[in-house]
Amino acid sequence: MDREILRRLELLNQLKLTEAEKEDVLSFFAAREAEHKVLEAIDTANTERMVHVMPIDTVVREDVVVKMFEREDLQAQAPETDEGYWCVPKVME
Amino acid sequence: MYNVKIDCSVAKKVIADDMILTKGVATTAGSKMLEGFMSLFTSEALVRLEEKGYGLVGKAKVGEFGFDLLGETAVNGALTADGVLKLAAAEAVLANEADVALTMDINGSVRRAAAQTGLVSVKPTYGTVSRYGTIPVACSGETVSLMAKNVADVKDALAAVAGHDPKDGTSLPDSMYVTDAATPKRIAVLTDMLANVNADVKAKVDSAVAALKADGIEVVEVTNDKIAAAKVAWNILMSAELCNNVSRYDGVKFGYRTPNFTNLDELYMNSRTEGFGELLKTAILFGSETLSTDNYMKVYDKALRIRRVVVEEFKRLFQEFDAVLMPACSTLEYTVDAVNNDKYMAFNENFYTAPASISGLPAVVAGGVQLVGKAFSEDKLFTLAEKLEKEGK
Repeated sequence: MDREILRRLELLNQLKLTEAEKEDVLSFFAAREAEHKVLEAIDTANTERMVHVMPIDTVVREDVVVKMFEREDLQAQAPETDEGYWCVPKVME
Repeated sequence: MYNVKIDCSVAKKVIADDMILTKGVATTAGSKMLEGFMSLFTSEALVRLEEKGYGLVGKAKVGEFGFDLLGETAVNGALTADGVLKLAAAEAVLANEADVALTMDINGSVRRAAAQTGLVSVKPTYGTVSRYGTIPVACSGETVSLMAKNVADVKDALAAVAGHDPKDGTSLPDSMYVTDAATPKRIAVLTDMLANVNADVKAKVDSAVAALKADGIEVVEVTNDKIAAAKVAWNILMSAELCNNVSRYDGVKFGYRTPNFTNLDELYMNSRTEGFGELLKTAILFGSETLSTDNYMKVYDKALRIRRVVVEEFKRLFQEFDAVLMPACSTLEYTVDAVNNDKYMAFNENFYTAPASISGLPAVVAGGVQLVGKAFSEDKLFTLAEKLEKEGK
Protein backbone atom coordinates (compact mmCIF):
# COMPACT_ATOMS: atom_id res chain seq x y z
CA MET A 1 0.00 0.00 0.00
CA ASP A 2 1.30 3.41 -0.90
CA ARG A 3 -0.09 6.84 -1.52
CA GLU A 4 -0.64 6.25 -5.23
CA ILE A 5 -2.73 3.14 -4.59
CA LEU A 6 -4.60 5.01 -1.90
CA ARG A 7 -5.31 7.84 -4.34
CA ARG A 8 -6.77 5.33 -6.80
CA LEU A 9 -8.87 3.71 -4.07
CA GLU A 10 -10.24 7.10 -3.06
CA LEU A 11 -11.22 7.82 -6.65
CA LEU A 12 -12.75 4.37 -7.13
CA ASN A 13 -14.85 4.72 -4.00
CA GLN A 14 -15.71 8.38 -4.51
CA LEU A 15 -14.06 9.46 -1.28
CA LYS A 16 -11.61 12.24 -0.52
CA LEU A 17 -9.38 11.97 2.55
CA THR A 18 -7.58 14.73 4.37
CA GLU A 19 -3.81 14.43 4.79
CA ALA A 20 -4.25 13.38 8.41
CA GLU A 21 -6.82 10.76 7.41
CA LYS A 22 -4.46 9.42 4.76
CA GLU A 23 -1.76 8.86 7.36
CA ASP A 24 -4.23 7.01 9.59
CA VAL A 25 -5.53 4.90 6.74
CA LEU A 26 -2.02 3.94 5.67
CA SER A 27 -1.22 2.82 9.22
CA PHE A 28 -4.50 0.88 9.30
CA PHE A 29 -3.57 -0.89 6.05
CA ALA A 30 -0.10 -1.68 7.42
CA ALA A 31 -1.66 -3.28 10.52
CA ARG A 32 -4.04 -5.34 8.40
CA GLU A 33 -1.27 -6.46 6.03
CA ALA A 34 0.81 -7.55 9.01
CA GLU A 35 -2.00 -9.66 10.41
CA HIS A 36 -2.56 -11.37 7.06
CA LYS A 37 0.48 -13.49 7.91
CA VAL A 38 -1.82 -15.37 10.30
CA LEU A 39 -3.86 -16.48 7.32
CA GLU A 40 -0.87 -17.31 5.15
CA ALA A 41 0.32 -19.72 7.86
CA ILE A 42 -2.83 -21.81 7.39
CA ASP A 43 -2.69 -24.17 4.43
CA THR A 44 -5.87 -23.83 2.37
CA ALA A 45 -4.60 -25.42 -0.85
CA ASN A 46 -7.18 -28.20 -0.56
CA THR A 47 -9.90 -26.13 1.05
CA GLU A 48 -12.86 -24.88 -0.95
CA ARG A 49 -14.00 -21.29 -0.52
CA MET A 50 -17.08 -20.82 1.61
CA VAL A 51 -19.24 -17.93 0.44
CA HIS A 52 -22.43 -18.91 2.26
CA VAL A 53 -22.27 -20.39 5.74
CA MET A 54 -25.54 -22.21 5.23
CA PRO A 55 -26.13 -24.72 2.43
CA ILE A 56 -28.85 -22.80 0.69
CA ASP A 57 -29.08 -22.47 -3.06
CA THR A 58 -30.04 -19.30 -4.78
CA VAL A 59 -33.58 -18.71 -3.72
CA VAL A 60 -35.94 -18.06 -6.62
CA ARG A 61 -39.46 -16.94 -5.95
CA GLU A 62 -42.42 -17.23 -8.26
CA ASP A 63 -42.09 -14.78 -11.12
CA VAL A 64 -45.05 -12.68 -10.12
CA VAL A 65 -45.07 -8.92 -10.32
CA VAL A 66 -45.87 -7.41 -6.94
CA LYS A 67 -46.26 -3.71 -6.47
CA MET A 68 -44.53 -2.83 -3.24
CA PHE A 69 -44.17 0.92 -3.20
CA GLU A 70 -45.57 3.98 -4.88
CA ARG A 71 -43.15 6.14 -6.84
CA GLU A 72 -44.15 9.18 -4.83
CA ASP A 73 -43.31 7.42 -1.57
CA LEU A 74 -39.91 6.31 -2.85
CA GLN A 75 -39.09 9.75 -4.13
CA ALA A 76 -40.13 11.38 -0.88
CA GLN A 77 -36.65 10.48 0.42
CA ALA A 78 -34.81 11.95 -2.55
CA PRO A 79 -32.75 15.11 -2.17
CA GLU A 80 -34.22 16.48 -5.41
CA THR A 81 -36.87 15.27 -7.84
CA ASP A 82 -38.77 16.72 -10.77
CA GLU A 83 -41.98 15.27 -12.23
CA GLY A 84 -41.20 11.72 -11.14
CA TYR A 85 -37.49 11.80 -11.94
CA TRP A 86 -34.44 11.99 -9.70
CA CYS A 87 -32.41 15.12 -10.37
CA VAL A 88 -28.64 15.10 -10.75
CA PRO A 89 -26.29 17.72 -12.19
CA LYS A 90 -25.84 17.82 -15.95
CA VAL A 91 -23.71 14.91 -17.15
CA MET A 92 -22.92 16.49 -20.55
CA GLU A 93 -21.55 19.96 -21.01
CA MET B 1 -29.67 6.84 24.53
CA TYR B 2 -32.45 7.32 22.01
CA ASN B 3 -32.42 8.61 18.47
CA VAL B 4 -36.21 8.53 18.63
CA LYS B 5 -38.34 7.93 21.74
CA ILE B 6 -41.93 6.71 21.43
CA ASP B 7 -44.69 6.74 24.01
CA CYS B 8 -45.67 3.14 24.52
CA SER B 9 -48.08 1.74 27.06
CA VAL B 10 -47.99 -1.97 26.24
CA ALA B 11 -46.64 -4.41 28.83
CA LYS B 12 -43.79 -5.87 26.79
CA LYS B 13 -41.48 -3.21 25.43
CA VAL B 14 -38.82 -3.47 22.75
CA ILE B 15 -36.17 -0.99 21.74
CA ALA B 16 -34.77 -1.36 18.22
CA ASP B 17 -31.31 -0.18 17.35
CA ASP B 18 -30.99 2.26 14.51
CA MET B 19 -30.00 -0.42 11.98
CA ILE B 20 -33.55 -1.80 12.12
CA LEU B 21 -35.97 -0.16 9.70
CA THR B 22 -39.17 1.25 11.18
CA LYS B 23 -41.97 2.69 9.06
CA GLY B 24 -42.83 6.19 10.12
CA VAL B 25 -39.88 6.43 12.51
CA ALA B 26 -36.51 7.69 11.30
CA THR B 27 -33.67 5.17 10.86
CA THR B 28 -30.21 6.71 10.63
CA ALA B 29 -27.75 3.78 10.91
CA GLY B 30 -25.84 6.18 13.16
CA SER B 31 -24.60 7.99 10.07
CA LYS B 32 -24.87 11.49 8.68
CA MET B 33 -25.51 9.71 5.39
CA LEU B 34 -28.95 8.59 6.57
CA GLU B 35 -29.92 11.35 8.99
CA GLY B 36 -33.71 11.64 8.96
CA PHE B 37 -34.19 8.67 6.64
CA MET B 38 -37.77 7.39 6.78
CA SER B 39 -38.22 3.80 5.72
CA LEU B 40 -41.30 2.77 3.76
CA PHE B 41 -41.61 -0.44 5.72
CA THR B 42 -40.79 -2.05 9.06
CA SER B 43 -38.31 -4.87 9.51
CA GLU B 44 -39.79 -8.36 9.58
CA ALA B 45 -38.29 -9.10 13.00
CA LEU B 46 -39.97 -6.08 14.56
CA VAL B 47 -43.27 -6.85 12.82
CA ARG B 48 -43.17 -10.33 14.35
CA LEU B 49 -42.41 -8.96 17.81
CA GLU B 50 -45.30 -6.51 17.51
CA GLU B 51 -47.60 -9.36 16.46
CA LYS B 52 -46.65 -11.08 19.72
CA GLY B 53 -47.59 -8.06 21.78
CA TYR B 54 -44.33 -6.13 22.02
CA GLY B 55 -44.48 -2.37 21.63
CA LEU B 56 -41.70 -0.20 20.24
CA VAL B 57 -40.39 2.35 22.76
CA GLY B 58 -37.80 3.90 20.49
CA LYS B 59 -34.72 3.68 18.33
CA ALA B 60 -31.40 3.29 20.11
CA LYS B 61 -28.25 5.08 19.01
CA VAL B 62 -25.71 2.95 17.16
CA GLY B 63 -22.22 3.52 15.88
CA GLU B 64 -22.04 4.30 12.17
CA PHE B 65 -23.59 1.34 10.34
CA GLY B 66 -23.20 -0.75 13.51
CA PHE B 67 -19.62 -1.41 12.53
CA ASP B 68 -17.68 -0.07 15.50
CA LEU B 69 -16.73 -1.15 18.99
CA LEU B 70 -19.61 0.16 21.11
CA GLY B 71 -21.27 3.07 19.36
CA GLU B 72 -18.30 5.46 19.46
CA THR B 73 -18.76 6.53 15.83
CA ALA B 74 -22.44 7.52 16.13
CA VAL B 75 -23.01 10.73 14.18
CA ASN B 76 -24.75 12.37 17.13
CA GLY B 77 -22.07 11.36 19.60
CA ALA B 78 -21.26 8.28 21.60
CA LEU B 79 -23.18 7.34 24.73
CA THR B 80 -20.81 7.46 27.67
CA ALA B 81 -20.93 7.40 31.45
CA ASP B 82 -17.95 8.48 33.55
CA GLY B 83 -15.69 8.32 30.50
CA VAL B 84 -16.75 4.77 29.60
CA LEU B 85 -18.49 3.81 26.34
CA LYS B 86 -21.99 2.38 26.59
CA LEU B 87 -24.18 0.72 23.97
CA ALA B 88 -27.50 2.54 23.95
CA ALA B 89 -29.70 -0.51 23.39
CA ALA B 90 -28.13 -2.28 26.37
CA GLU B 91 -28.50 0.79 28.57
CA ALA B 92 -32.21 1.00 27.73
CA VAL B 93 -32.71 -2.58 28.89
CA LEU B 94 -30.66 -2.00 32.04
CA ALA B 95 -32.74 1.08 32.82
CA ASN B 96 -35.95 -0.96 32.47
CA GLU B 97 -37.07 1.20 29.56
CA ALA B 98 -37.32 -1.91 27.41
CA ASP B 99 -37.68 -5.61 28.13
CA VAL B 100 -35.86 -6.59 24.96
CA ALA B 101 -33.45 -4.94 22.56
CA LEU B 102 -33.69 -5.83 18.87
CA THR B 103 -30.27 -5.22 17.38
CA MET B 104 -27.93 -6.02 14.52
CA ASP B 105 -24.78 -7.96 15.37
CA ILE B 106 -22.37 -7.02 12.61
CA ASN B 107 -19.02 -6.78 14.29
CA GLY B 108 -19.82 -8.00 17.78
CA SER B 109 -20.87 -4.79 19.55
CA VAL B 110 -24.05 -6.38 20.92
CA ARG B 111 -22.17 -9.31 22.45
CA ARG B 112 -19.52 -7.00 23.90
CA ALA B 113 -22.23 -4.86 25.50
CA ALA B 114 -24.02 -7.90 26.94
CA ALA B 115 -20.79 -9.24 28.41
CA GLN B 116 -19.87 -5.89 29.92
CA THR B 117 -23.29 -5.17 31.43
CA GLY B 118 -24.25 -8.67 32.58
CA LEU B 119 -27.18 -8.83 30.16
CA VAL B 120 -28.10 -11.91 28.15
CA SER B 121 -27.88 -11.81 24.36
CA VAL B 122 -28.32 -14.24 21.51
CA LYS B 123 -26.85 -14.04 18.06
CA PRO B 124 -28.93 -16.77 16.45
CA THR B 125 -27.81 -19.25 13.81
CA TYR B 126 -27.37 -17.38 10.52
CA GLY B 127 -30.61 -17.45 8.54
CA THR B 128 -32.84 -18.11 11.56
CA VAL B 129 -34.14 -14.56 11.86
CA SER B 130 -35.12 -12.59 8.78
CA ARG B 131 -32.86 -9.69 7.87
CA TYR B 132 -35.62 -8.17 5.74
CA GLY B 133 -35.84 -4.55 6.76
CA THR B 134 -32.37 -4.24 8.24
CA ILE B 135 -29.65 -2.07 6.79
CA PRO B 136 -27.19 -4.38 5.05
CA VAL B 137 -23.51 -4.09 5.96
CA ALA B 138 -21.74 -7.45 6.13
CA CYS B 139 -24.47 -9.70 4.78
CA SER B 140 -22.68 -13.04 4.92
CA GLY B 141 -22.32 -12.98 8.70
CA GLU B 142 -24.49 -10.30 10.26
CA THR B 143 -27.60 -11.37 12.15
CA VAL B 144 -30.53 -9.82 13.91
CA SER B 145 -29.81 -10.32 17.61
CA LEU B 146 -31.68 -9.96 20.86
CA MET B 147 -30.67 -8.76 24.28
CA ALA B 148 -32.55 -8.79 27.61
CA LYS B 149 -32.03 -8.99 31.34
CA ASN B 150 -32.57 -12.71 31.57
CA VAL B 151 -32.55 -15.89 29.51
CA ALA B 152 -36.33 -16.32 29.61
CA ASP B 153 -36.94 -12.93 27.96
CA VAL B 154 -34.36 -13.58 25.26
CA LYS B 155 -35.88 -17.00 24.55
CA ASP B 156 -39.36 -15.50 24.37
CA ALA B 157 -38.26 -12.85 21.91
CA LEU B 158 -36.28 -15.27 19.78
CA ALA B 159 -39.28 -17.59 19.54
CA ALA B 160 -41.30 -14.62 18.27
CA VAL B 161 -38.89 -13.57 15.52
CA ALA B 162 -37.38 -16.88 14.34
CA GLY B 163 -38.64 -18.71 11.28
CA HIS B 164 -38.60 -18.61 7.52
CA ASP B 165 -39.33 -15.37 5.72
CA PRO B 166 -39.73 -15.54 1.95
CA LYS B 167 -38.77 -11.87 1.72
CA ASP B 168 -35.20 -12.64 2.82
CA GLY B 169 -33.19 -14.73 0.36
CA THR B 170 -30.88 -15.94 3.15
CA SER B 171 -33.71 -16.96 5.47
CA LEU B 172 -33.53 -20.71 5.98
CA PRO B 173 -36.49 -22.86 4.89
CA ASP B 174 -38.44 -24.33 7.80
CA SER B 175 -37.32 -27.81 6.75
CA MET B 176 -33.75 -26.94 7.76
CA TYR B 177 -34.60 -26.13 11.37
CA VAL B 178 -33.41 -29.10 13.36
CA THR B 179 -33.23 -27.75 16.88
CA ASP B 180 -30.80 -29.36 19.27
CA ALA B 181 -32.13 -29.11 22.81
CA ALA B 182 -30.35 -32.14 24.25
CA THR B 183 -29.03 -31.68 27.77
CA PRO B 184 -25.49 -30.30 27.51
CA LYS B 185 -22.83 -32.37 29.23
CA ARG B 186 -19.41 -31.23 28.02
CA ILE B 187 -18.09 -27.88 27.00
CA ALA B 188 -14.72 -26.67 25.78
CA VAL B 189 -12.95 -23.51 26.90
CA LEU B 190 -10.96 -22.04 24.04
CA THR B 191 -7.74 -21.03 25.78
CA ASP B 192 -6.39 -19.15 22.73
CA MET B 193 -8.98 -16.53 23.56
CA LEU B 194 -7.76 -16.01 27.11
CA ALA B 195 -4.20 -14.87 26.47
CA ASN B 196 -4.92 -11.15 26.19
CA VAL B 197 -7.98 -10.62 28.35
CA ASN B 198 -7.67 -8.60 31.53
CA ALA B 199 -8.15 -9.90 35.05
CA ASP B 200 -11.84 -8.91 35.19
CA VAL B 201 -12.69 -10.90 32.09
CA LYS B 202 -10.56 -13.84 33.21
CA ALA B 203 -12.48 -13.79 36.51
CA LYS B 204 -15.78 -13.95 34.58
CA VAL B 205 -14.54 -16.95 32.62
CA ASP B 206 -13.29 -18.67 35.79
CA SER B 207 -16.55 -17.97 37.54
CA ALA B 208 -18.59 -19.36 34.61
CA VAL B 209 -16.44 -22.48 34.45
CA ALA B 210 -16.82 -23.03 38.19
CA ALA B 211 -20.59 -22.58 37.97
CA LEU B 212 -20.93 -25.05 35.12
CA LYS B 213 -18.69 -27.59 36.81
CA ALA B 214 -20.72 -27.27 40.00
CA ASP B 215 -23.80 -28.07 37.91
CA GLY B 216 -22.26 -31.27 36.59
CA ILE B 217 -20.94 -30.00 33.26
CA GLU B 218 -17.56 -31.37 32.24
CA VAL B 219 -15.28 -28.52 31.19
CA VAL B 220 -12.19 -29.17 29.09
CA GLU B 221 -9.58 -26.62 28.00
CA VAL B 222 -8.74 -26.77 24.30
CA THR B 223 -6.50 -24.76 22.02
CA ASN B 224 -7.21 -23.99 18.38
CA ASP B 225 -5.18 -21.41 16.49
CA LYS B 226 -7.31 -21.79 13.37
CA ILE B 227 -10.47 -20.57 15.07
CA ALA B 228 -8.39 -17.76 16.53
CA ALA B 229 -7.55 -16.71 12.96
CA ALA B 230 -11.21 -15.91 12.29
CA LYS B 231 -10.74 -12.25 13.18
CA VAL B 232 -8.33 -11.57 10.35
CA ALA B 233 -10.56 -13.27 7.80
CA TRP B 234 -13.71 -11.58 9.12
CA ASN B 235 -12.07 -8.15 8.92
CA ILE B 236 -11.47 -8.82 5.22
CA LEU B 237 -14.91 -10.23 4.39
CA MET B 238 -16.77 -7.69 6.51
CA SER B 239 -14.96 -4.75 4.93
CA ALA B 240 -15.37 -6.08 1.39
CA GLU B 241 -19.09 -6.53 1.93
CA LEU B 242 -19.39 -3.12 3.57
CA CYS B 243 -17.65 -1.54 0.58
CA ASN B 244 -20.23 -3.03 -1.77
CA ASN B 245 -23.24 -2.42 0.45
CA VAL B 246 -22.58 1.26 1.02
CA SER B 247 -21.83 1.96 -2.64
CA ARG B 248 -25.56 2.74 -2.97
CA TYR B 249 -25.14 5.90 -0.89
CA ASP B 250 -24.25 8.45 -3.54
CA GLY B 251 -26.46 11.42 -2.73
CA VAL B 252 -28.87 10.85 -5.61
CA LYS B 253 -31.90 8.76 -4.65
CA PHE B 254 -31.89 9.05 -0.86
CA GLY B 255 -29.64 9.99 2.01
CA TYR B 256 -27.30 12.92 2.42
CA ARG B 257 -26.53 15.15 -0.56
CA THR B 258 -23.77 17.68 -0.33
CA PRO B 259 -24.62 21.28 -1.16
CA ASN B 260 -21.08 21.62 -2.58
CA PHE B 261 -20.97 20.38 -6.17
CA THR B 262 -20.76 21.67 -9.71
CA ASN B 263 -20.93 18.35 -11.56
CA LEU B 264 -21.99 14.73 -11.03
CA ASP B 265 -18.55 13.51 -9.93
CA GLU B 266 -18.38 16.19 -7.27
CA LEU B 267 -21.88 15.32 -6.13
CA TYR B 268 -20.89 11.68 -5.61
CA MET B 269 -17.48 12.43 -4.11
CA ASN B 270 -18.50 15.21 -1.75
CA SER B 271 -21.73 13.53 -0.63
CA ARG B 272 -19.86 10.37 0.36
CA THR B 273 -16.89 12.20 1.83
CA GLU B 274 -19.08 14.44 3.98
CA GLY B 275 -21.69 11.76 4.72
CA PHE B 276 -19.43 8.97 6.01
CA GLY B 277 -17.28 9.00 9.12
CA GLU B 278 -13.60 8.15 9.24
CA LEU B 279 -13.85 4.54 10.45
CA LEU B 280 -16.33 3.73 7.74
CA LYS B 281 -14.24 5.40 5.03
CA THR B 282 -11.21 3.46 6.17
CA ALA B 283 -13.09 0.16 6.06
CA ILE B 284 -14.55 0.98 2.62
CA LEU B 285 -11.07 1.60 1.24
CA PHE B 286 -9.71 -1.53 2.88
CA GLY B 287 -12.60 -3.62 1.56
CA SER B 288 -12.13 -2.19 -1.90
CA GLU B 289 -8.44 -3.04 -1.82
CA THR B 290 -9.10 -6.66 -0.81
CA LEU B 291 -11.31 -7.00 -3.89
CA SER B 292 -8.76 -5.50 -6.28
CA THR B 293 -7.22 -7.57 -9.04
CA ASP B 294 -3.92 -7.76 -7.19
CA ASN B 295 -5.44 -8.87 -3.89
CA TYR B 296 -8.57 -10.80 -4.73
CA MET B 297 -6.99 -14.26 -4.70
CA LYS B 298 -4.32 -13.52 -2.13
CA VAL B 299 -6.58 -11.82 0.38
CA TYR B 300 -10.33 -12.09 -0.29
CA ASP B 301 -10.33 -15.61 -1.68
CA LYS B 302 -8.02 -16.72 1.12
CA ALA B 303 -10.43 -15.29 3.70
CA LEU B 304 -13.29 -17.29 2.16
CA ARG B 305 -11.21 -20.45 2.49
CA ILE B 306 -10.33 -19.60 6.07
CA ARG B 307 -14.05 -19.30 6.75
CA ARG B 308 -14.42 -22.97 5.77
CA VAL B 309 -11.42 -23.87 7.93
CA VAL B 310 -13.06 -22.17 10.93
CA VAL B 311 -16.39 -23.88 10.26
CA GLU B 312 -14.67 -27.27 9.98
CA GLU B 313 -12.72 -26.71 13.19
CA PHE B 314 -15.90 -25.86 15.06
CA LYS B 315 -17.58 -28.92 13.56
CA ARG B 316 -14.75 -31.06 14.86
CA LEU B 317 -15.09 -29.56 18.33
CA PHE B 318 -18.84 -30.08 18.36
CA GLN B 319 -18.35 -33.80 17.82
CA GLU B 320 -16.94 -33.86 21.35
CA PHE B 321 -18.45 -30.81 23.02
CA ASP B 322 -21.88 -29.24 23.36
CA ALA B 323 -20.54 -25.68 23.28
CA VAL B 324 -17.37 -23.66 23.24
CA LEU B 325 -16.92 -21.07 25.95
CA MET B 326 -14.89 -17.94 25.27
CA PRO B 327 -14.88 -14.29 26.29
CA ALA B 328 -16.76 -11.72 24.21
CA CYS B 329 -14.25 -8.95 24.86
CA SER B 330 -10.84 -8.36 26.41
CA THR B 331 -12.01 -5.88 29.05
CA LEU B 332 -15.24 -5.08 30.88
CA GLU B 333 -15.10 -1.43 29.91
CA TYR B 334 -13.78 0.66 27.04
CA THR B 335 -12.83 4.14 28.09
CA VAL B 336 -13.33 7.02 25.69
CA ASP B 337 -9.64 7.81 26.04
CA ALA B 338 -8.62 4.30 25.02
CA VAL B 339 -10.82 4.44 21.93
CA ASN B 340 -9.58 7.90 21.02
CA ASN B 341 -6.05 6.57 21.18
CA ASP B 342 -6.91 3.54 19.06
CA LYS B 343 -9.82 4.39 16.81
CA TYR B 344 -9.48 1.07 14.97
CA MET B 345 -9.93 -0.96 18.16
CA ALA B 346 -13.05 -2.61 16.70
CA PHE B 347 -10.81 -4.39 14.19
CA ASN B 348 -8.83 -6.02 17.00
CA GLU B 349 -11.40 -6.47 19.72
CA ASN B 350 -13.52 -8.55 17.34
CA PHE B 351 -10.98 -11.31 17.94
CA TYR B 352 -13.54 -12.65 20.41
CA THR B 353 -16.68 -12.23 18.34
CA ALA B 354 -15.46 -12.96 14.81
CA PRO B 355 -15.43 -16.78 15.12
CA ALA B 356 -19.23 -16.92 15.53
CA SER B 357 -19.77 -14.12 13.00
CA ILE B 358 -17.76 -15.67 10.20
CA SER B 359 -19.15 -19.16 10.75
CA GLY B 360 -22.82 -18.20 11.22
CA LEU B 361 -22.96 -20.17 14.46
CA PRO B 362 -25.22 -19.18 17.36
CA ALA B 363 -23.65 -17.37 20.28
CA VAL B 364 -25.27 -16.68 23.62
CA VAL B 365 -23.71 -14.25 26.06
CA ALA B 366 -24.59 -14.72 29.73
CA GLY B 367 -22.72 -14.21 32.96
CA GLY B 368 -20.18 -12.10 31.09
CA VAL B 369 -19.00 -14.95 28.84
CA GLN B 370 -19.85 -16.17 25.37
CA LEU B 371 -21.09 -19.65 24.52
CA VAL B 372 -20.87 -20.71 20.88
CA GLY B 373 -22.72 -23.80 19.70
CA LYS B 374 -23.37 -25.71 16.53
CA ALA B 375 -26.06 -24.46 14.17
CA PHE B 376 -29.57 -24.56 15.66
CA SER B 377 -28.30 -25.36 19.18
CA GLU B 378 -29.70 -22.17 20.72
CA ASP B 379 -31.81 -24.16 23.21
CA LYS B 380 -28.74 -26.00 24.42
CA LEU B 381 -26.87 -22.71 24.82
CA PHE B 382 -29.82 -21.26 26.73
CA THR B 383 -29.71 -24.25 29.11
CA LEU B 384 -26.08 -23.47 29.84
CA ALA B 385 -26.89 -19.77 30.17
CA GLU B 386 -29.62 -20.58 32.68
CA LYS B 387 -27.06 -22.42 34.78
CA LEU B 388 -24.86 -19.32 34.77
CA GLU B 389 -27.85 -17.15 35.55
CA LYS B 390 -28.85 -19.39 38.47
CA GLU B 391 -25.33 -19.24 39.84
CA GLY B 392 -25.21 -15.47 39.51
CA LYS B 393 -28.34 -14.90 41.61
